[in-house]
Amino acid sequence: MSLQQWTMTIDTDKCVGVGQCEMLEEEVFYLDDDTGIAIVVGSETLPADRADAVIDKCPSGAIGKTR
Amino acid sequence: MNQHQDLRAVAPVDLADPDTYAQGIPHDAFAELRAEPGLSWNQTEGFWAVTRHADLVEVSRDTGTYSSESGHIQIYDIDDDALAERASMIDLDPPIHTRLRRLVSSAFTPRHVEAYQAAIRRRVQRCLDDFQAGGGGDWVAAVAAPIPIGVICDLMGVPEQDHQYMIELSDHLVAGTSAEPLDPGAYGNTTDLRLLPFNSPAAHGIFEYARELGEKRRAQPRDDLVSKLIAAEVGGERLSDNEFTNFFRLMIFAGNETTRSAMAHLGMYLAGHGDQFDRVRRDRSLLESAVEEVVRYSSPILYFRRTATRDTELSGTAIRAGDKVVMWYAAANFDETVFADPLSFDVARPRVPNNVAFGGGGAHFCLGASLARIELGILIEEILDRRLFFDVVAPPVYVASNFVNGIEHLSMSVSTPPKGQS
Repeated sequence: MSLQQWTMTIDTDKCVGVGQCEMLEEEVFYLDDDTGIAIVVGSETLPADRADAVIDKCPSGAIGKTR
Repeated sequence: MNQHQDLRAVAPVDLADPDTYAQGIPHDAFAELRAEPGLSWNQTEGFWAVTRHADLVEVSRDTGTYSSESGHIQIYDIDDDALAERASMIDLDPPIHTRLRRLVSSAFTPRHVEAYQAAIRRRVQRCLDDFQAGGGGDWVAAVAAPIPIGVICDLMGVPEQDHQYMIELSDHLVAGTSAEPLDPGAYGNTTDLRLLPFNSPAAHGIFEYARELGEKRRAQPRDDLVSKLIAAEVGGERLSDNEFTNFFRLMIFAGNETTRSAMAHLGMYLAGHGDQFDRVRRDRSLLESAVEEVVRYSSPILYFRRTATRDTELSGTAIRAGDKVVMWYAAANFDETVFADPLSFDVARPRVPNNVAFGGGGAHFCLGASLARIELGILIEEILDRRLFFDVVAPPVYVASNFVNGIEHLSMSVSTPPKGQS
């Protein structure tokens, strides 16, 4: 079986802009300096292990994944 | 008392009493509490004590059930007018909290704090130069205090000559949580103490300073956070004088006291756990986990309180709407079900699950976590590069507070190995 790729999502009500996601996966996440909220950039997807790691590292529980 | 209350387990020590922390974190008492089923009840101040890691994370992440806004984030209750006077983002719930936090959050992300590295390193080097030149001294006054206040003041835009004044004000602010008597008229204060943060006249001093600096930056903005806050709009409105001064107060306090405590404790660990730092010296990939261990082991903030907004249940204990729920970070960080051999200081401790010194997650997760990590990392690196060795000369003097795990003074000597020896 090939690795399942996930598209990442941000719950903008929960995001407080800690920036852990951007540090871990800079190809996928970017902290918008004007709004202070993380956004998902580009069309990059993540394999399950990296998707789960970045979800786990978000202190505000704002990151999700979808197919 | 109703039957519900009669069944409450009572804590073996009074967690509300500042004297409980006179010798540091009361590990034995916290271990007893973690082992008890459910939550224990503090009779002196009337609160539920959350001491286990999993329970703390649950409370921390559920801002709907456990509010920072209704009630107070410290153990003692204060009047509604006093709450309104001192409200900063730390005392508010989403969505207001979120809007305020986003004004400053981008300055504290890992990407942005990377850019402060060189300036932080210069500060660290200067402090260590002075400490070495004197062969040692008070580690807190010479190293642990000036580095974090210097860094946060640079970010805020407070000029160098006022840093010492900010340390003094911040110290006196914390004095409001200890049993020390306060002079209500200090710093020209005329406000009723009960209306001031920490019931401390030093808050007045901070507010006055913030107003003056704010006026200067309004006239001539610079690339600093005070300029940004003065110009910021939340929901189409500028921050009120009260919002701005409280924001400033929170940043100075949080950026100063907490990292200072971690650095003060680091001094003790350098002296007492030299073997652990030798490991980091040999294997620099341990630096990150060493920083986390310093933060876990020191747990600079002992607790924050929430107030239940509805009847709920935690760990089998029924909590009523309006009950105080206190998260003891300093207890959860030594939860033996999460951290193997929790009382041993281990620089290679796995980073997952996370310690809760920066909070258990959720909206109030420490804004300055990345900044604190980078400051501590640079300080440890510089000490290892210089091959400094420390001895504690006199027992540390702890801050008698139930809120911060601070060290007032730590007298240490410093030495380097003779040339040619390694």
